[in-house]
Parts: sequence; C-alpha cells; structure tokens
Amino acid sequence: MSKVRERTRSPEGDLPAPTPDAKQWVVYTQKREGAPFKWAGTVEAVDTELALQYAREHYGLDEACVGLITYEHGDSVDGEYSIGPLVPQKADGTDGDEWLVFTLAKRGGNHQTAGTVNAPDAATAINRGTAAFADGKACNIRVVLASDVHETTDEEMVIWRTHDMTYKLAKGYSKQVRSKWTRIRDNPAYEQYQKEDIETHF
Amino acid sequence: MSGAANPVSPPDITITADPEKLAAFEQRIADGILIEPGDWMPDSYRTLMLRMAEHHANSEIIGALPEGEWITRAPSMLRKLALTAKVQDEVGHGQMLYRVSQELGKSRDDMLRDLVTGVTKYHNCFNYPCPTWADIAMVQWLIDGAAIMNQKTLADGAYGPYVRTMNRINMEEAFHFKSGEDMVLTLMSGTKGQKAMTQEAFDRWWPISLAFFGPADKPNCEELPPMKWRLKIERNDSLRRRFVNRFAPAAIDLGLIINVVTKNEQGFVTSAKPDEAIALDKSTGDWSFTQPDWDEFWRVIRGNGPCNAHRLALRRFSYDQGAWVRRAIGDGAVATPPAA
Repeated sequence: MSKVRERTRSPEGDLPAPTPDAKQWVVYTQKREGAPFKWAGTVEAVDTELALQYAREHYGLDEACVGLITYEHGDSVDGEYSIGPLVPQKADGTDGDEWLVFTLAKRGGNHQTAGTVNAPDAATAINRGTAAFADGKACNIRVVLASDVHETTDEEMVIWRTHDMTYKLAKGYSKQVRSKWTRIRDNPAYEQYQKEDIETHF
Repeated sequence: MSGAANPVSPPDITITADPEKLAAFEQRIADGILIEPGDWMPDSYRTLMLRMAEHHANSEIIGALPEGEWITRAPSMLRKLALTAKVQDEVGHGQMLYRVSQELGKSRDDMLRDLVTGVTKYHNCFNYPCPTWADIAMVQWLIDGAAIMNQKTLADGAYGPYVRTMNRINMEEAFHFKSGEDMVLTLMSGTKGQKAMTQEAFDRWWPISLAFFGPADKPNCEELPPMKWRLKIERNDSLRRRFVNRFAPAAIDLGLIINVVTKNEQGFVTSAKPDEAIALDKSTGDWSFTQPDWDEFWRVIRGNGPCNAHRLALRRFSYDQGAWVRRAIGDGAVATPPAA
C-alpha cells in the first residue's frame, strides 16, 4: 500500500455540510454511422459541457462507438409503459417544435432513438411518436425536445479508440487464456470449460 | 472488483399496501413482467430495492479502493492499463447504481454520507487486505467470478432499471473476470516463487469467495418478499455450489491446493491444511467442500475485519476532500481546497 494511503486517518469532527445532487444526464451511444443511439447510462454534471466530457470518458471509452448524445434527465417525458406493445392511435400533424423520439422494445430493455416528430407539446409528441414509430414493437415512447439534446462533435470523436483498447474487453484475453489453459487441459476439456464459461459468465 | 447485491439478512418488512393493488403487482411479477419506475409498487418493494441497489453501489466504490492501490505497482504496462480501466469501470458501476437508487427516492449525497458514517454497508469481501499482486489476480478471478455469477441471476430480476444496469455492468465484469483468469494462469505458469505467492493469495481468497454469497437462506426464503418479488433470484447456497463446481476443478488443474485455513486479525493465514471435503460427487456432478468460517464472516460484517476502519477512513477522507468541489460546482459557491 502506498505510504499516503497507509497514513490516511479518518477526519475527525462533523461531516462537511450536505450538498445538493448535481443534474442527471442521460447518455446514449451509437455503435456505427446511421445506427440508432442506444441507452448507455447516466452521468452527473452541472452543465452540458461537463456532461458530454463525462459521457465520453465513461461510456465513449467503454466500448467502441462513433457518436454520443445526452440530455438532462428532467427534459425527457415518458409515455405509458404498456404491458404488451403499444397500440398506436391516429395522430397526424406536423405543427410545433421538433422532438426526438425514443422507443423501448421491452420492459427492462434499453431505449433507443427512432426518429423525430413535430409537436406543440410533449403529450402530442408522444402520441405522434407512437403513431410513427411504435409499430407494434414498442412498450414505451420517450420524447425530448430536439433542442435539448446535445451531441458530440466530429472534432471530439478522435479521442476515442485511437489505440488498441482490446485490453478493456473480455475477448481481448481469449487467445492467451486459451493458449495457457491448453497447456494444462486438453482441447475438448478446454472447449467444455469455455462453453460453461459463456453460460455462466457472459 | 464488484459487489454482489446480497444484503446479508433480508430485512423484516411489513406490507401495508392495498391488497388489490398488491395482488395485481405480484401477479405481474409472477408473469415475468418487469417493473418500471412509473409503475405502482408497494412501499416495502421500493424500500427493499433501494436498500439492495444502494448496498451494491457502495460495494462498487469501496471495492475500487484495494485495486486502486495496485495501479502504480502493476507488473507491466498492459496490466497497468487493464487495472486502471477496471477501477474506472467499478467506480462507473457505482455511479450507475447510485442513479438507480436516486430514482427510488434517496439523494446521492445522503447515500455517500450514510456510507461514510456506517449507516449503510458495503460487501464484506472488501474488508480484507491485498498484500501482493497475486491477491489482485485472485480478486479478479474469484471475487469477480463470484460477482458475475450472482449478477447474472440479478439481471433476471423484476425491477427494470436495475436489470438494464446489471446487463451493462455484467458486460464489463466479463472483462474483469477474463483479465483475472489470465493473470492467475500467468502466475501459475511462472516461477516457483510466483506459484507460492499465488497459493498464499488463493488461501486468503478462497474462503472469502465462498462467504461472498452470504450465509444459507431461510428455508422458506422463496415465500419471502426478496425472492417472491424477484429482487433476489437464487438461493445463496445454490450460487455457492455453482461457484465451487466451476472454480474448484479449475484451481486444482492450475496446481493450486484448496486448503482450510485459519487467519489472524489482520486477515493473514496462520495455518493451512488441505480441505479433505473437496471431492466430486459423480452422481450429482457437484463438488463437496468445507464451509467458510461463518463466525469470521459475522465478525467482519459487524465492523471488526482487517480493513473495515481503513476503507471507511479513506472513503470519508475523499468525501471531506471533495466537499469544496461539490460546493463550487453544485451551487456556484466560491470554494477553496482544503489546506495540504
């Protein structure tokens, strides 16, 4: 253990005064050009710039992706979470602001972008989003005003994956693990182990 | 390192919900329909889920402490990169799980304060020392292996936000486990000294891994809320048996000896003898084994483990040191760092 950590003593006295939680931002990542942005998680940040920075660090480096969007949690509105697929109602109209629409295929799954609609308010955007994108395959529609959604720029993209980062992935170890195990176990035994590994761990 | 979301004892709860709503809620769960935050849920469900997610989040951030101490001493650049990434992952898991907990009604600051004041707990296994690099290998192989086994079942739970978070976390845990497996394989194909160091670390971590899943559940646990409501999916003993079936033969093949050990108060082994119970029952496919020292387990959980005080002190130190940053960015107050 480092000396600094060894010498750590519990600060005495009262805890510092409580601080309010920072804003929550929801983050979606895009695996390849043209693909939907899928829910990745959240970050806590005081402003857009910091939220995007944290999102890039946290989710952009976790797995290969080519784009990332975020919005403040309170800016999104969720429609009903239905038990089965949503039944789209007729909802025409193109008036109002632009809203980004997300669909959720199943409860416990991840929302992903489906497209945009124009609407004067969130409730109408959900109705129009359901009509346009639910398609019998979504149990929830989420909408966010397009102007509240923030996206990484092309300039920021180059920070990702500029070197081999397979050390951050299980598959980055597959070859050497196999090679080391097969010095100890024969191939069929290793294959069986690997099969169980996938069932149990992946 | 990762935390299992198995708070040790299911809390006693009183269900006071409207019987009709409760019946509909339980029917949904029985039908395999996941609960989303906007859905009606009994207060006791919310309380249990919050307790579980918060415990898990605490475990993730405390769990990063022992491994973080080894980043500067990792034996190669690749191991250093991987360990840095792993520690970042674990703290990220804490962030995601605190978010799930916030959605259930508790502020992040309250959770961090409750953690450092001992109001809430974190996983017991993080109260043990990691004196060698082989301990880090064992933590990644055994503890992350146990955690992922548990968390895979939790991903089949009933609370949507926790399930989607678990799915994401498990993907990263797979890297931690595989990296740990590679480290153990490397050490066990190394020098005599490396093998001895690995055996010593294995002696320290094998019983901790067995205790990882918690003591045996009550016989009627399936009828009690945590399992009935699919917050918890599998019995602790069942998970432990699957763990041993998986890891005991692997350890033996690697040349490790599964010992029954006694430890001193610092968590170091004072005596070790081969576990005579270790054997494969060919009729069931299950391995038998000696149970861990449950007295030690309870002692550590009550705050008397080798590293309890140190872990909390470090966490409290970080909380205090970060206060000026939270004030500065949180409400725009002018704040200055504490004196060095």
